[in-house]
Amino acid sequence: MAQNAAAATAERKPKRAKRPSHTSGMSRALVRRETISAYLFLLPSLFFFVAFVVVPMVICVVYSFLDYGLGGVQGFAGLDNYARMLTDPIFHAGLRNTVLIVVVAVPTVTAFSLWVGSAIYQMHPFPRSFFRCVFYLPVVTGSVAITVVWKWILNPYNGILNQVTDNVGFDWLGTQSTAIWFIILILFTTSIGQPIVLYVAALGNVDTSIVEAAQVDGATKLQIFWRIKWPAIMPTTLYVLVITTINSFQCFALIQLLTRGGPLNSTMTIMYQIYDTAYTRQDFGYANAMGVVLAIIIAIFSAIQFKVAKTDQ
Amino acid sequence: MKKVFALALTLAMVLSLAACGGNNDTADDTSGTEEGTGTTISLWSFNIGGFTDAASWDSLIAAFNEQYPDITVEVNPINYQDGDSILTSAISSGTAPDIIFEGPERIVGNYAREGLMVDLSDLWTASGSDIPESISSVSQLDGTYYLYPLSVAAHCMAINYEVFEAAGALQYIDEETRTWTTDDFVAAMEAIRDAAAAGTVSVATPGIIYCGAQGGDQGTRALVNNLYSDYYVNEDGTSYNINSANNVQALTLLQSMVNDESLSANASFQASDELQQFANGTSAVTFCWNYSNYTQYADQTQFTPFAMAFPSDDGVPELEMAGPYGFGVFDNGDQAKIDAAKTFIDFICNDQTAGVEAVKTTGFFPAHADWGDVYEGDADADLRAPFALMSNYLGRYYNLTGGWTEQRALWWPMLAEIMTTGADPQTAADNFVEQANANIG
Repeated sequence: MAQNAAAATAERKPKRAKRPSHTSGMSRALVRRETISAYLFLLPSLFFFVAFVVVPMVICVVYSFLDYGLGGVQGFAGLDNYARMLTDPIFHAGLRNTVLIVVVAVPTVTAFSLWVGSAIYQMHPFPRSFFRCVFYLPVVTGSVAITVVWKWILNPYNGILNQVTDNVGFDWLGTQSTAIWFIILILFTTSIGQPIVLYVAALGNVDTSIVEAAQVDGATKLQIFWRIKWPAIMPTTLYVLVITTINSFQCFALIQLLTRGGPLNSTMTIMYQIYDTAYTRQDFGYANAMGVVLAIIIAIFSAIQFKVAKTDQ
Repeated sequence: MKKVFALALTLAMVLSLAACGGNNDTADDTSGTEEGTGTTISLWSFNIGGFTDAASWDSLIAAFNEQYPDITVEVNPINYQDGDSILTSAISSGTAPDIIFEGPERIVGNYAREGLMVDLSDLWTASGSDIPESISSVSQLDGTYYLYPLSVAAHCMAINYEVFEAAGALQYIDEETRTWTTDDFVAAMEAIRDAAAAGTVSVATPGIIYCGAQGGDQGTRALVNNLYSDYYVNEDGTSYNINSANNVQALTLLQSMVNDESLSANASFQASDELQQFANGTSAVTFCWNYSNYTQYADQTQFTPFAMAFPSDDGVPELEMAGPYGFGVFDNGDQAKIDAAKTFIDFICNDQTAGVEAVKTTGFFPAHADWGDVYEGDADADLRAPFALMSNYLGRYYNLTGGWTEQRALWWPMLAEIMTTGADPQTAADNFVEQANANIG
């Protein structure tokens, strides 16, 4: 009886299960050896990470508080470099354009990539590989080569666009109202390759048995996508969003090769202004301060994306 | 935790990209000095004339090494597209070259002003007595010489001779003196515009005012300054002068020419783009010409590029000096390298055999007046004659004015504002002068 009571109590209050540990069953010496091995494997990448990421990051923050030009450090600037940004119209234009690029490019790249990925992931292997290859081509071609081709296309006098539209002389990249949109268009073409490949892979990994069960239960295509596939590919979507956002914020080569921030700062971005301030105007302190601010802005955008996507759950 | 880590990584990636510059302490660097094996010096050469091809240095260095076998010269060619960025990066990270081959604008106006260059007065004292005052005055800062010159020329413009002929516009130029007045320039551009509209000539535009970047900005500066005979900087160098009545009149004239399509303005073009359109036969004039560009585009042109001075109201042009191109030595803290660099410069610029070869490679004319006409008797002497003629029109050199680097970044946006958006020239010029003068020192 007492045994039965004890058993019943044990059933009602199950003993807290012992937390499983990957070290269970290992001797301390073995654990120590494995830990040391793990750190040794980490060491090379940790070294490069610290040397080429962490140290420059710290240097960037330090320089942002200095009056630092070509002739060396002239003195401590305090918050002057940061205060300058409040009254610098070029920085304001750069911030405005950077946000515009991000706000337009990120959703369109993500949506278009998902659309193309959805359209091709169920195709036969040959056409699927063909389309993946076609869309990925701009990624491996490199932004410089692509930019040169676009420069030819958009040449006011000999460019194919103006020849076809009978608009010879119009300077698409030299007109304030059109230049930024061509930058976004070109950025779009160079940004979609990787997301499409990722979406094709992610959609291919969605459990088909769940999809088939939903079809048997009478779910519509939209319901299947929204209730089954979309949650399954959410980690991929988050990755695409974050990477596209960072790439858009750091859009530099296109600007440098096509417009150099012009005309009249209409394509100026913070990233290009950082370069221009450092290497044309040779004002390293101010350039680094802008770098710090850009990093903070990107971090805020990324935090919002993590929050919205709720991947931790 | 994952979120915090991901954000930290993002932050780190961005900041690491933004961490421009580095320590530019001129610590003693003796890495190139190997005891007993001589000295190695680095020469960074801008793409001036034939020196666009780095191999052009080979024969000069070979001749130098015959006399100085213990000095090794390593050439690194750089260009005007990204040379400034490369140099800035090198200087700020303490890896500046030993010698730079360029003009006073950078060597004296920028780097010497920042205290980065070595005093070359000893070279001038020893061998510079026949170098004209116009060159010596721009090779120094506050009485100290930082540049030792090799060659010099004048920036000019050029026309497509056959297009001018077909459009009946040759009547507006003086072919002998290669000059024209402002009225003649306007008439010629209108004649070409009308001829193009009628199908007589096949150019897309008479000429292009490029205002997309600072490359080749000496051309647009000279165009504006010459039209009504004014200067870019006032006489005592205390203020930029583009908002003067004459200069604003010139800007207004150019704006009206863009409006009536006797000129075009392209805010996405820099000089290299405009030169390419000229070489293609797309435009009938270029505002960025010299012998160096002539040789660079010679293979592409299917017409006669006819060098001309910039038009001026009185027909008396004042051209910007191209160069004087020469050498400066960065103070990298190694006396052995500094001495070797000076030895090399002395050989290239003062040894008449090597010097003449170097001058001819630039395509310009010697800084040493005593050397005379180094092209006399050469097969291509006739091709160089127009550029020698342009040297007669050299004007005041103002490129050492304080804040020169900063004002260059302001010039082309101002031009774009006036030419492509219809902004009031006086207002835009006033804004330019206000901002440029803020850095004049």
